[in-house]
Amino acid sequence: MTNIIDRRVLMRALIVLVVAAAASIAFGAWGSPAVASTVDTAVAHASAVSSETVATAPQVDTITQTAVEPDEEIGTNRYVQQFINGIVFGLLLALASVGLSLIYGTTGLSNFAHGEQVSLGAMLTFFFATQQPVSLPFVPVEFTIGWPLIPSALAAIALAAGTGWLQDKFLWSPLRRRKVSIVQQMIVSIGLSLAMLNFIQWWFGAERRRISTSIDTRIDMGVFTIGQTTLWSVAIAIICLAAVAYFLLRTRTGRATRAVSDNPALASASGIRVEKVVRLVWIMATGLAAVGGILLALYDNAAAFDVGARLLLLMFAAVTLGGLGQAFGALVGSLVIGVAVEMSTLWLGTDLKYAVALGILILVLLVRPQGILGRAERVG
Amino acid sequence: MDIVLDALGTMMAPATAAFALAAIGLNFHFGLTGLLNMGHAGFMLLGMYGYGISTQHGAPIWMALIIAIIAATIFGLLLGWPTLKLRGDYLAIATISAAELVRYLGRSNTLQGLTGGSTGIRGNDFKFTFEELSPLPDENITILFWTNHGTKSSSWWLMIVAWVFVALFALLFWQLARSPWGRVLKGIREDEDAVRSLGKNVYSYKMQALVLGGVIGALGGVIWALGASVQPDSMGRPTTFWLWTILLLGGAATVFGPILGSMIFWMSLVIIKGLASAFIPSSVLSPVEIEPFSLVLVGIALMCLVIFRPQGILGNKRELAFND
Repeated sequence: MTNIIDRRVLMRALIVLVVAAAASIAFGAWGSPAVASTVDTAVAHASAVSSETVATAPQVDTITQTAVEPDEEIGTNRYVQQFINGIVFGLLLALASVGLSLIYGTTGLSNFAHGEQVSLGAMLTFFFATQQPVSLPFVPVEFTIGWPLIPSALAAIALAAGTGWLQDKFLWSPLRRRKVSIVQQMIVSIGLSLAMLNFIQWWFGAERRRISTSIDTRIDMGVFTIGQTTLWSVAIAIICLAAVAYFLLRTRTGRATRAVSDNPALASASGIRVEKVVRLVWIMATGLAAVGGILLALYDNAAAFDVGARLLLLMFAAVTLGGLGQAFGALVGSLVIGVAVEMSTLWLGTDLKYAVALGILILVLLVRPQGILGRAERVG
Repeated sequence: MDIVLDALGTMMAPATAAFALAAIGLNFHFGLTGLLNMGHAGFMLLGMYGYGISTQHGAPIWMALIIAIIAATIFGLLLGWPTLKLRGDYLAIATISAAELVRYLGRSNTLQGLTGGSTGIRGNDFKFTFEELSPLPDENITILFWTNHGTKSSSWWLMIVAWVFVALFALLFWQLARSPWGRVLKGIREDEDAVRSLGKNVYSYKMQALVLGGVIGALGGVIWALGASVQPDSMGRPTTFWLWTILLLGGAATVFGPILGSMIFWMSLVIIKGLASAFIPSSVLSPVEIEPFSLVLVGIALMCLVIFRPQGILGNKRELAFND
């Protein structure tokens, strides 16, 4: 892969993003008469849903906020507001899906346990940061750690990245060596996801946990408002993604990673240590997922054990949309999915917003299975 | 002793039969054809909705069953159309997304009038047509050690009907698997291109298998609903993963694999929970934690099965669809 192709790929990504943004804003203007009523119903939905299950609770909070605010503050535009929310959500989603895409690219594995890595990041941060007594599974001793947020987050990221290393060392690498087929590995990852999901629930319970108790102050930007914490989250997300991009495009190991993605056999033959690259990719992917989980938990005010499980299919949608295995595709795909998910709440009930992303995924598979940035190759 | 009786009772329960039936459907997909359907719970849920909603609107039982079957057929056709030409893992992602899409739509407030939103449809609203057919008395009946109601909900009546269905579809699987049609499907599983070069329409065969398996899954869903209620969140992704565990445990591409797998799966869940609450002190593992703990074991069991014994208990190592 040369630089010229990269530039072309990036250009295409940019065009797709601009078109998607323009389309969603155009749709927004077109659908404006209906909006007043949908916002009301959205609020009604939100309050109706919040009483039912824990599962829907995280999305409800953000929506009540965004849905109520435009009525209070004149001058904010709902479409712009939802578009910005979508970009924020997309960036945070991208942290998780870039890792998923890197793993797919280098090993061919669709990792169904990636959602749990996201939850793990959020819940480990809660574990270190909370003032409440916590305990370990099977150990009947309660203790309080109560570190400040930033050291807890760093510890959580380090631990989560450690699980990536452990997984690759003791699970995936032996499986690859035994030449276990990709389909079998995929089902193993499903088993792992089932085990990890329930392990996290067992450890932290089913309640939603807040990892930060401070209240987010919202800054008025004219046509939209954005929380201060959210701005920080976006900055961190952009720095992380830029670092990944720099790593992939400019460093030697990053080039090696792309070479392995392109053709593992050839990469191995030209002296790249494929196993080492894959190990690094696993550590990066799980670490990034943890960062994404923590930032999403801050953005949503709280997180439950299944936060990642519900995002997994959105990640798959983003990764497929961008082209399986293309790291930059995952970024663009996440932004498109994020914007689509948040903008859809202007017309549809908030409880349908994830359904929109899945609808997009199925449409993409129908029209362009290789994704926006993928090379046209036979996938059948 | 209670644990043993509970475990044996679970082995015969309608829920076990419902999962066995759904796993037989999955066996048509994966065992016979090698399709990676990760959205089987979606078929089950559609069957439940088809049956429940049409009964609510006054359809007789045969019509409700036909509507459930039609719903699953249409879902299978829609799902297969874009995905069956794609590679296996694309099919997996598409099916799991489609199943979740069905669940999200079912539990959304927009469709509350039809599907009952996230609370679903109460058992009393759709079980009566089935219970009216029961020849058994309307009271609790004790047979040996087990007491169940004769007709209501998880009754002896439902148990008999459920296992008759399982037996019929196991028979159907056995007959179809050794028919020329089944041999073509096995050929597709082993080597798609070879079958294509023999002039068979692979796409059409895969579609037939997908729809047939999906319909059986929908019937499994109906039986599950008759024992419980139509609840969209009971048919999420974990249900699909349990079905896979059941199928791989018993042995894919075998006649009795799904049935044996379902029995062992539900029995061991009961046994684990019973033993855990009997022997592990509640300070170490509180009652709330037993459920996730037992499901952690299910996940680990699935991983170990796939790695160490992918053919399951009854399966034949040569008949494996993991060849991609």
